Amino acid sequence: MRNRVWSLFLALLNVNYGWSAAKYYYLKKRQRVWEPIVIAASIGPVLVMMLWFSWVMTEQLFMAGLSFGQPHLPLVIGTLMVAVVGLFFGFFYVLSSFYFSNDLPTLVPLPLRSWEILVAKLGVILTGQYVLGAFVLVPMIIRYGLLARGGIPYVVIALTVFLVLPVIPLVIASILAVLLMRFVNLSRFKDRLTLIGGILLLVIVFGSTYWMQENVGTDDPSVLIERVLSQADGLIYSIGRVFPPSVWSAQALGYATNATGWLNLFYLVLASVVGLVVLYLLGEKVFLRGVLAGFEGSRGRRKHKQVEVQGESNSAFLTLVHTERKLFVRDPNFALNGLVGYVLFPVMLLIPLFGASLEGNPFERLDLGGLHPFLVVGGIALFFTLMIAMSMIPSTTFSREGRYLWIIRGLPLSIEQIMATRVVAAQMVNTIGCLLGLIPVSYLFGWRIWEVVLGTVFGIILSSTVAYLLVLLDLSRPMLDWVNPVKAVKSNLNAIFGLLGTSILGLLLGFIFYLNVQSQTLWLIPFELLLISLLLGSGGWYLGRQVAWKLWSKI
Amino acid sequence: MIRLQGVSKRYKGASTHAVRSLDLEVKPGEIFGFLGPNGAGKTTTIKMIVGLLKPDQGRVLVNGHDVNAEAVAAKQSMGFVPDKPDLYPRLTGMEYLNLIGDVYGIDGATRRRRLQHYLEMFQLTEAAGDLIQSYSRGMQQKLALTGALLHAPALFILDEPMVGLDPKSSHLFKEIMRDHVAKGNTVFFSTHVLEVAEQLCHRVGIINQGELIACGTMDELRKSPGRAGSSLEKLFLELTDEGGSDEK
Repeated sequence: MRNRVWSLFLALLNVNYGWSAAKYYYLKKRQRVWEPIVIAASIGPVLVMMLWFSWVMTEQLFMAGLSFGQPHLPLVIGTLMVAVVGLFFGFFYVLSSFYFSNDLPTLVPLPLRSWEILVAKLGVILTGQYVLGAFVLVPMIIRYGLLARGGIPYVVIALTVFLVLPVIPLVIASILAVLLMRFVNLSRFKDRLTLIGGILLLVIVFGSTYWMQENVGTDDPSVLIERVLSQADGLIYSIGRVFPPSVWSAQALGYATNATGWLNLFYLVLASVVGLVVLYLLGEKVFLRGVLAGFEGSRGRRKHKQVEVQGESNSAFLTLVHTERKLFVRDPNFALNGLVGYVLFPVMLLIPLFGASLEGNPFERLDLGGLHPFLVVGGIALFFTLMIAMSMIPSTTFSREGRYLWIIRGLPLSIEQIMATRVVAAQMVNTIGCLLGLIPVSYLFGWRIWEVVLGTVFGIILSSTVAYLLVLLDLSRPMLDWVNPVKAVKSNLNAIFGLLGTSILGLLLGFIFYLNVQSQTLWLIPFELLLISLLLGSGGWYLGRQVAWKLWSKI
Repeated sequence: MIRLQGVSKRYKGASTHAVRSLDLEVKPGEIFGFLGPNGAGKTTTIKMIVGLLKPDQGRVLVNGHDVNAEAVAAKQSMGFVPDKPDLYPRLTGMEYLNLIGDVYGIDGATRRRRLQHYLEMFQLTEAAGDLIQSYSRGMQQKLALTGALLHAPALFILDEPMVGLDPKSSHLFKEIMRDHVAKGNTVFFSTHVLEVAEQLCHRVGIINQGELIACGTMDELRKSPGRAGSSLEKLFLELTDEGGSDEK
């Protein structure tokens, strides 16, 4: 007989990745066989690019770090990236999986201890992190090992770091999530509080680290540089202060042949074990109470919120836009997965700034503060466009309706009207989300107001045309058959294809901007943005006219 | 009010038709009961009438409009409640009703009057401000009914409307159907509850294995050879021979 936690973990893993469903459709029924081929063909090149990027970046950063006696630079930056991404995405995955998944009513009545459910669910998320790590951490560790000529001890430490590093951010994310839900679930505004509280908690975690760094350090760059350079691995500590386990990982890998390496590995393992113990205790004491409070919160409330019977009628268009926006933002399963990018992006962009005042910092080469105004405009437009795809709002708009689609299909609305409302709703959320990150970033880099406003205008135009195409994509093959709402966004191929297509557009635009820089024709950028918007918009409109109604009536 | 002309539908991968060459006409001012065993094609037919499914062959006309060619005009005169009315769980009841009201362009005064009437009738006034996910199945059913009646549709279509309603609501609902047709409107509903059909319907149609096997008033059905004085239940059992497969 298998251990029940292991058995539960395997079952959840199966459900999460749809192995049985894939076997059933692809092997037994021989249906949708093209799907895995298309997925492999779409994702394969991206994964190869990730491997290549990680490999080359490691080499570059190794050389850059070597020039000022700190060759471990790629290790700390790589582990920091993995950890920060793990903490952000992990937090939202953990919230979705621990508290909003539809398997909870099935799991809770089973004779399972609270921590057993928690650990099995955590294991599923961790598996996903290892897969991601395999394409970022593994090439980095191998390349560094080859460059630094690491021996057997390096291999042992590297394996341990690979296995342990993703645990810490996920455990922190889980502890935050369990504590948050214990209190949020007591409120009737739990959906809203979950979203706001989640973002706030992460901001506090990173804010406090930043504050500590600022206050422990000094404002005088010359003193800081002197201190950093006079101290071995000063830059590594400076960057890694954002997340200490990344320093331990880097030190463990960098000094694999002596005691320092093993001591740092010990810190890393110890931190993971302590984190897991805390999570186990919280799991036993708090987790189930939070889940049960969630069950109670949604039913049987005695006190009703009195509402006036509305006598005002509104425009059908605006009502549909607001309904779409509300349905997305109010459902934590959608919002946590779709809105995370808006928080993640500015934080990721600001992380390099932690070491920005240091001499020889490779991020100085980016010089985001000294960009040409039209490059800023182009960059912002690109940001809006990529974010609208990343939000998954347009590319999953019909899929998210699932079994509720009958409502909108039964209403006297044309598909053109419906699509237009979906684009506007997506753009509304996108514009607010982008501006929330863009305004502080613009302030820090000293971008001028007109640059930001112009970039925003072009961004709204370009991203709206992309959103229309993404809505059309979801209309062509909506994923309506789901039980867990997370599936409608996270396991939706339309979201992946949409993101890939938009990334290709982004690369193309990036290449055009590069040519503009080379040929000193940066003034062309606004015209190029308009032209691409016009091409995409008219192409999308024509395509919509040709196929939208047929697709809509075929669903 | 409803005209189905040679309507057929076969689901992808299925070996038989869910509905085959269906011809049917429902006149204004009548309550039409659509009966049949599980898997007979009732829900498929209803989905084709309301535009949720496209027929492979034939035409569906509602109030003179082809449901596929003039979908918006056809839907303007319909109110539909499915067998399992899944409503957006993260909207409040009032937000859902306002969505329907705005889409159908119901003016403020009319909307307020009708909402007050139906919400009070279904005892939903207090719960209207709560999220739909907090509603019981019966409350969701009543909210869906309110939404479907809000624009006073000329054609009211219901798939198994009595499922999930308590006896009081069920009684109330029968009254609503009678009132609705008394104003010249039409009601088309499917049901398994033969007594309801017998009490309410001006005409019934019986569908089995995708084909309409009987259609008419109760008297007309009883007058058919060898069936004098039969109850609807007996007629139904004889005609359908308890055949059928699972509903699509």
